[in-house]
Amino acid sequence: MGSGPNQKRQQAALGTDIQQENNMKRVATLLATLAVAAVPAFAQDAEWETEGLSDDAITIGVMGPFSGNASSYSKALVGMMAYYDKINEEGGVHGRKLVAVQEDTACDSAKGLAAAKKLISQDKVFMLQGNSCSGVAVALRPTIEDAGLPWIVAHAVSDSISDPLAKNIFHGVPTGRANGRAMAAFVLSKPDTGNVAIIEHSNDWAHSYSNPAREYLEENGVTPSLELIMERGQTDATAQVLKLRQEKPDFIIAALYEAETAIFLRDLKKYGMGDVPVMGTAGTDLENTLKRTGDFDTVKNYYVIHSYVDNLDGPLMKPWGDMIHKYNPDEELSTFSFVSIGSAEALVAALEAVGPDLTRSKLMAALEEVRDFDTGILSDPITWTPEDHQGVKGSAVAGFVDGEPTVLKAWGQPY
Amino acid sequence: MSQTMPTATQRRLRTYAFWAVPVLLLLLPLATNPYTQFIANGMLISVLVTLGFTLTIGNLGQLAFANTAFFGIGAYASAILAAKLGVPWLLTIPLAGAFGALGGFLASAAALRGIRTYYLAIITLAFGELMRWAYLHAKPVTGGTDGMPMPREALFGISLGDDSLKFYIFLGVTVLLVKATLNLMRSRFGRAVMAVRENEIATASLAIPTARVILVTFMWSGFVVGCAGALFARHVGHVFPESFGMLHLIASFAMVLVGGLGSVLGAVLGAVLLTALPEYLRAFPGMEELFFGLIVAGVLVAMPMGLASLLRRLSPVFVERFYREAP
Repeated sequence: MGSGPNQKRQQAALGTDIQQENNMKRVATLLATLAVAAVPAFAQDAEWETEGLSDDAITIGVMGPFSGNASSYSKALVGMMAYYDKINEEGGVHGRKLVAVQEDTACDSAKGLAAAKKLISQDKVFMLQGNSCSGVAVALRPTIEDAGLPWIVAHAVSDSISDPLAKNIFHGVPTGRANGRAMAAFVLSKPDTGNVAIIEHSNDWAHSYSNPAREYLEENGVTPSLELIMERGQTDATAQVLKLRQEKPDFIIAALYEAETAIFLRDLKKYGMGDVPVMGTAGTDLENTLKRTGDFDTVKNYYVIHSYVDNLDGPLMKPWGDMIHKYNPDEELSTFSFVSIGSAEALVAALEAVGPDLTRSKLMAALEEVRDFDTGILSDPITWTPEDHQGVKGSAVAGFVDGEPTVLKAWGQPY
Repeated sequence: MSQTMPTATQRRLRTYAFWAVPVLLLLLPLATNPYTQFIANGMLISVLVTLGFTLTIGNLGQLAFANTAFFGIGAYASAILAAKLGVPWLLTIPLAGAFGALGGFLASAAALRGIRTYYLAIITLAFGELMRWAYLHAKPVTGGTDGMPMPREALFGISLGDDSLKFYIFLGVTVLLVKATLNLMRSRFGRAVMAVRENEIATASLAIPTARVILVTFMWSGFVVGCAGALFARHVGHVFPESFGMLHLIASFAMVLVGGLGSVLGAVLGAVLLTALPEYLRAFPGMEELFFGLIVAGVLVAMPMGLASLLRRLSPVFVERFYREAP
């Protein structure tokens, strides 16, 4: 073999090629390693089944808006955690305490996702329960569905959180659709109601009530005779009321915020229509509306969705209020304070049913066996089946009867 | 404040450091879990948002608050293109940037008509609110209050829901845009931007087309933030109008100020610190907002020129060419 300059150059070139090839291999190996490391391992093995579980504790991730401008919604989780405290004081479930790990979503989808990922991958909680703010809950759905751990939605109402069905997501409060249908069902429970008008805001919040209400009416052979818009911030409803006066409806469905509801009711009375009953949403409160109008005659025929078995200060709600105050003495009770207790009761019942040999899959199977579960606080029972995880299908209604706020099952039927 | 300019060696060191950081960051997914990776991804998005903001408010010296509008435009453009037209998400990134640039063009119209200071601030704020109104009410296009979900996609067989894969893409886009912005600001155009900030009339007397400088800076700012919007759409997987409100604008403004007004390095530092801080403050439920406010106020009191000024004091390596602290 010669060793001329050409051969040296060839050897050098060959050496460079080999070096480049080696470098390429190293880069490829590094990239492959990175790619493998990048794939999250959500293998649902035995370890996964009991993650967040110990002999004496079940860790439950509780997400809610504990900061930010929607933090008042975090009151919705107070009742649920007071119920955990009550169960713990009674010895827990099969000897295990319910340990809540709270994370703030600030009612913001990015912060909510961070909270969910922290609870799932860092705190490694056994399950999740809670969530106000439907937008955040909708954004969380793909992440939690992929993670596979049980999640009971205890406050947010958007139907798209739990529909289409996800194996591990359970809705423990009436959804927007359930409330809308409950509004229409109450309207049609009034004898001889065939002429129904709808007035609403032109936003999605209003449509989330009016669309299912309209659907229920049409299923029962009633087409709304008049559909009107009253925009947010409007301070006068004369035009709408005059149209309604021509149509003479038997009942009016009003998907309006509380301020506009008060204006609408005031104008109804002003134009001599104060005797026409009006069905409002869960976004309004009977007594608050009375305070806003300052005139009982304007609200005497006003009815609102009310998810509970009694008035907040009624005897059936008193034990629950006492329970909340026992563990949170300074808590000022509102409608929100009680909303998540029912789903916490259903959870505890399912945990009891599973027995001491608890796994995530067993819990989800037990949740799917919950049928007509009477919580003693929600007006309607909870039923979860393998085909339907939207557990609460209806809601009661509150209205003034003989001048007193009264919870009603149907027209003229106290709860 | 006088600044010692870096020597040639220090400038070389700075170049190596610029590339060393992203190279080292390639290994980050080996050390993270899905939560910490998600936060790291959010930091990269914040870097781009802050960078775009500091260009108009710090470098160009215009009191313009259309940043969140650009961000929303980019996010919605990406989500609409991906969800409604089936455009692969990666392709939507430059397209979202283009829509952001268009937003920058519209926002610059007020500045080009000679509107300045508080008047420009209020007009650009109104622009942001107008965009939010559009997201809410153009329901057939934007999904209204239900928002716009991003379709599930995969790249090389790995789901784009995977935070580690997203990190590499976000990192690539961020490095590219930070480097491009640095180059732009070091160019003749960048000097013109600084000149407009210092004295627009004097700049115009030098035959520099100040209107064009303002227009291009707004458009580049819109492009950078629009791209960040596309990353954000994939980051959260569902775009809602509430993500682009006043709170986001205030957070971005705080990042600009804490990092150092008009500094690219400051944009990076401010974004990283103020994205990480709320996560650390999760350990103090109920006190997060208080501590966050105190820490931001503390940094600004101790370092009115931001964190970048601290590094500049430590070494000339961190002095940015043609950067001059705002008076």
